[in-house]
Amino acid sequence: MPEEPDTGGRAADRGSAARIPRDAVAGAAVLLFCLAAYLVTLTFKEAPAVIAQNVQPATFPRLVLGVMAVLAVIIIVQSFRLPDRKPKRLAFMVWPSAAIMVGFVIAFETLGIVPAMVLLCLVLPLMWGERRLYLIVPYAVLFPLAIYGLFAVALGVHFEPSPLVFW
Amino acid sequence: MDVFLTTAALFTDPYLIGVILIGTVGGVLVGAMPGLSSTMATALLLPFTITMQPIPAIALLSALYCAGTFGGSITAILVNAPGAPPAAATAFDGYPLAQQGRAGLALGIATVSSTIGGIFSIIVLIVAAPILARVAYDFGPPEYFALALFGLSMLASISGESAFKNLLGGAFGVLLATVGMDFTTGVDRFTFGFWELSEGVHFIPVMIGLFAGAEFLTQAGNLDRKVVRAVVDAVKLPSWVDFRKTLGTVGRSCGIGAFIGLLPAEGGTVAAMIGYNEAKRWAKDKSRFGKGDIRGVAGPETANNAATGAAMVPTLALGIPGSATTAVILGALLVHGLRPGPHLFNETPTLLYGIFIAMLLANLMFMGLGLLGAKLFARVTLIPTRFLWPAVFILACIGSYALEQSIMDVWIMVIAGLAGYVLKRYGFSAAPIIMGLILGELVESSLKQSLIIFDHSWLGFLERPIVVVFILLTAASAAMPAIAGYRTRLRERLPASADVPGD
Repeated sequence: MPEEPDTGGRAADRGSAARIPRDAVAGAAVLLFCLAAYLVTLTFKEAPAVIAQNVQPATFPRLVLGVMAVLAVIIIVQSFRLPDRKPKRLAFMVWPSAAIMVGFVIAFETLGIVPAMVLLCLVLPLMWGERRLYLIVPYAVLFPLAIYGLFAVALGVHFEPSPLVFW
Repeated sequence: MDVFLTTAALFTDPYLIGVILIGTVGGVLVGAMPGLSSTMATALLLPFTITMQPIPAIALLSALYCAGTFGGSITAILVNAPGAPPAAATAFDGYPLAQQGRAGLALGIATVSSTIGGIFSIIVLIVAAPILARVAYDFGPPEYFALALFGLSMLASISGESAFKNLLGGAFGVLLATVGMDFTTGVDRFTFGFWELSEGVHFIPVMIGLFAGAEFLTQAGNLDRKVVRAVVDAVKLPSWVDFRKTLGTVGRSCGIGAFIGLLPAEGGTVAAMIGYNEAKRWAKDKSRFGKGDIRGVAGPETANNAATGAAMVPTLALGIPGSATTAVILGALLVHGLRPGPHLFNETPTLLYGIFIAMLLANLMFMGLGLLGAKLFARVTLIPTRFLWPAVFILACIGSYALEQSIMDVWIMVIAGLAGYVLKRYGFSAAPIIMGLILGELVESSLKQSLIIFDHSWLGFLERPIVVVFILLTAASAAMPAIAGYRTRLRERLPASADVPGD
């Protein structure tokens, strides 16, 4: 884990203002999630007793949510007793890379698999600082073709033709 | 014996040998690449095996699993960056040895001790799996429910930041398993109107996302990291003196690795850490540990490989994964229409013997590859991140899509990747979520069936002796990290308070 102990104490670098431990934040987020998921279970249809045999569709998920909530509370309580850890600063490049992940799936749906792969193989190395075009261009052409050939031709995976490109 | 000979005859087929060789070479390569683990590689490779026959498919994944566990040691020794988590402890002494110009010796020790550990684990697998399967024949839904709970409780002690976070991850995985149509009532749960989710969340895209997707973002955040490689001399077999020095460590680590591997959910990483600690604890001269002691390489390498075959025992005999990678192999068995558990031993003995032989061959092959080609395999670290990880991400997307040929699975993979990265930053591991997702259906179905058997009385569980044993084990394993933590804190406080009167 890219983390380091907060040796200066929880409130050290923020003057007298007490900082909420990260695990408490995580635990609170889990509790909120459990609450939201519980509310969703209220929308589940009730099954006739003869089919459900006294175990309704919502019973088991609610049981699991209860266990999760208890564990989240333990994590919150523990977080105030154990030394807090602050994470390594999030590198800027993580954000555009996450956007590329989402963008690739959108391109997969709209442009088709081959153009999406070519775009990714061109954009991502450039974005990550690669400047040797004599490597990027062959990579962006040959790798997608090899992958398409392997899956579509050799393994018989069917890729839907996209609305914009014939692949 | 007839079945064994029939299966052994299958392995005279060059195709099957070729498949195992590809799995072994691929395993050593991905194991050697920092960030790529054998778990991720088996998950990425699974979609390739859909069109294959079950024996070659499972043999390929098993070979990749064995070789990937060994492959991690190469970069742990040469670059101080373990290719895979089970090799983390190998770097403690392997890298100092490499810095002293003894990389060849360290790699030789790692190769030989990995092979010994791996072969020992296969013997454990061959002996223990049928015995466990025979015991499991008498299991009914209450026993399976208690066993699955025990498996989930073992998540508390797998490596990670916090036992409770691991348990929470496991519970979240079980909750994910409830997405889709309830199999007894036909009611949709957590589908939010997406008909694609009615069949549930397949664990393969989730697993690929949690491992490969999250690691893709981790790599994006580490682009400026420089890798310093130690120079490799010729890889050599350990001398008689080295062999005698490490013999006790190797023997102990075989036992440790096999025992840890047999436990549900535990895997090579835990085994390697304990193997390293025990090698140090038993050594008369501990001063060289951390500075380049060959026992510090032999201990973890034997233990993590000894856990591989042993982790297949609960996977094959009970359908409860012994580790994250065996969870993928379990998934592969399901994809090929096979249900792991006691019946597998009666219905498809050829497949089981096929797995045993494939793992044995993989161990022998990676020994040859390790001794002859470690220098070559070490060069995989030269592949630039800027080209490697876009390729891994594309494979992750296509692999997720290929399984059901559904774009929804690609979205699930990407969402799992983003969530996995955030969870990782908050100290949650991916493995417990996967374990929970795989065991979730078993937990729910066996609980429902048990409640029907007991006429909805929870006390009925206490009337079954095996269930009571598993419940006690569950309580013990869930409480163990808390007790261990309390003892550690107590030990830390004792010297301070003991000093006061004396001073």
